[in-house]
Amino acid sequence: MKTYIQLKSVSVEFPVYDNAHRSLKKAVMNLTTGGRIAQDIKHHRIVKALDGISFNLEKGTRLGLLGHNGSGKTTLLRVLSGVYAPTSGKLITQGRIASLLDVSMGLDPDATGFENIYLRGVLEGLKPKDIRNKIDDIANFSELGDFLNFPVRTYSSGMMIRLAFAISTSINAEILLMDEWLSVGDASFNAKATRRLNYLVKKASILVIASHDEDLINKTCNRIMHLEHGNIVSDEKIKRTK
Amino acid sequence: MTQLLAKNDVKKGLSAYTIWSILGWHDIRQRYRRSILGPFWFTLSTALLVIVLGFLYSTLLKVDIKTYLPFLGVGLVVWQFISTVINEGTTVLIGSQTLIKQINLPITVHVCREVWRNFIILLHSLPTLILMLLLFGIWPHWSIFLLLPLGLLLLFLNGIWIGIILGILSARFRDITPIVTNLTQIAFFLTPVMWSPEILESRAWVALWNPLYHSIEVIRAPLIGSPILLESWIWSLAFCVVNGFIAQWLMKRYRNRIAYWI
Repeated sequence: MKTYIQLKSVSVEFPVYDNAHRSLKKAVMNLTTGGRIAQDIKHHRIVKALDGISFNLEKGTRLGLLGHNGSGKTTLLRVLSGVYAPTSGKLITQGRIASLLDVSMGLDPDATGFENIYLRGVLEGLKPKDIRNKIDDIANFSELGDFLNFPVRTYSSGMMIRLAFAISTSINAEILLMDEWLSVGDASFNAKATRRLNYLVKKASILVIASHDEDLINKTCNRIMHLEHGNIVSDEKIKRTK
Repeated sequence: MTQLLAKNDVKKGLSAYTIWSILGWHDIRQRYRRSILGPFWFTLSTALLVIVLGFLYSTLLKVDIKTYLPFLGVGLVVWQFISTVINEGTTVLIGSQTLIKQINLPITVHVCREVWRNFIILLHSLPTLILMLLLFGIWPHWSIFLLLPLGLLLLFLNGIWIGIILGILSARFRDITPIVTNLTQIAFFLTPVMWSPEILESRAWVALWNPLYHSIEVIRAPLIGSPILLESWIWSLAFCVVNGFIAQWLMKRYRNRIAYWI
């Protein structure tokens, strides 16, 4: 099946509720009193994180997203991953998506390393049999050995990142979404992690990576997009000589 | 694609049973890790409560303890399932926000996980309860082999609908959680768990118009061998269907907003 991503004037607006706005009382008062509070309620403060973004990504695209903090890079990645549905506009994706947005989130601190590997596999929709096949691979890569039988809360932060990295990069995906290039652990593990990421990037049909590091983007990507205030300010394809 | 997901979220969530059943079991294992009795702690504390309340209220209400204790026991176990599902339902989506914001799963999966976890606890208590009934010389009605599974299924499904409804509402309006906690507390006294509706005589309608009472009754009546009322089945089926429609409607309409609310 063809892998592609299509965005048609996708906008994302975050409602910002302060406590008053979240209260049921206001909503009920609004029913009875009308007028004044209704305006108050309708005028939620809204942050427009993406403003009518359109683009197509085809097989082989390596898209780099550049932009200041708050320019909408991460939101765009979250929209692509399906977590945030566009407030308006249309998103069509074809292909299995994996996102490395927040690697260490979602680990259960009270569960053991092995259990965490298993749970993540379940959440990704893998069959228990397939997970068992992968467990050895993940365990080896993390180099945590017997510590995998310990609850994750006993891990040092470095060990935790190793496990999280090993789990979240053990995926098969046609579309890979990354927020910053992951750098993890001590020097030797970092080299290994970089090799693994390179392999993943090469294997994926479409890569979208957001970063502040222009060198990295220039090195990895064949299309570079600048975002500012939720708009695309520039979008260029670059010919690679490699 | 996202549009499609909102429409089918409930269906997709229910059919992803491997995901929510494994996660639910994991929750149970986590909660009772390093404890010897595990989920039976719940059974034990309920048993203790039933015995103490049983002696107290059988005297207060002047009823025979032999008929009262089984009535209270089954009622209380089912009630605890209902009230926990309701109360945890108000926090289930807020509590799952890390997962919701990270992995694109049907929202219904998170609700199913929560209800399934409480259902497992209910299933731990029922056999103990039936054993107690047999000790009291009460033989359940023969129809129990058909009615109990049906009643439990109804209870389970209804729990999921309620979880979806309350989960979505309380993700948007944070006052729902304390309101619901208060209401379930009041409902405990208004629902015939500790007393049977006959006591109310002319005011029995208070109980008979209460869908929670009928939801308990479809499980309790066949277990303790009291007459099975068609009325209770109609009430709890209708309750389940209505909740199902509301849940589906809310999900269809607000599914895509949930990630922004939590």
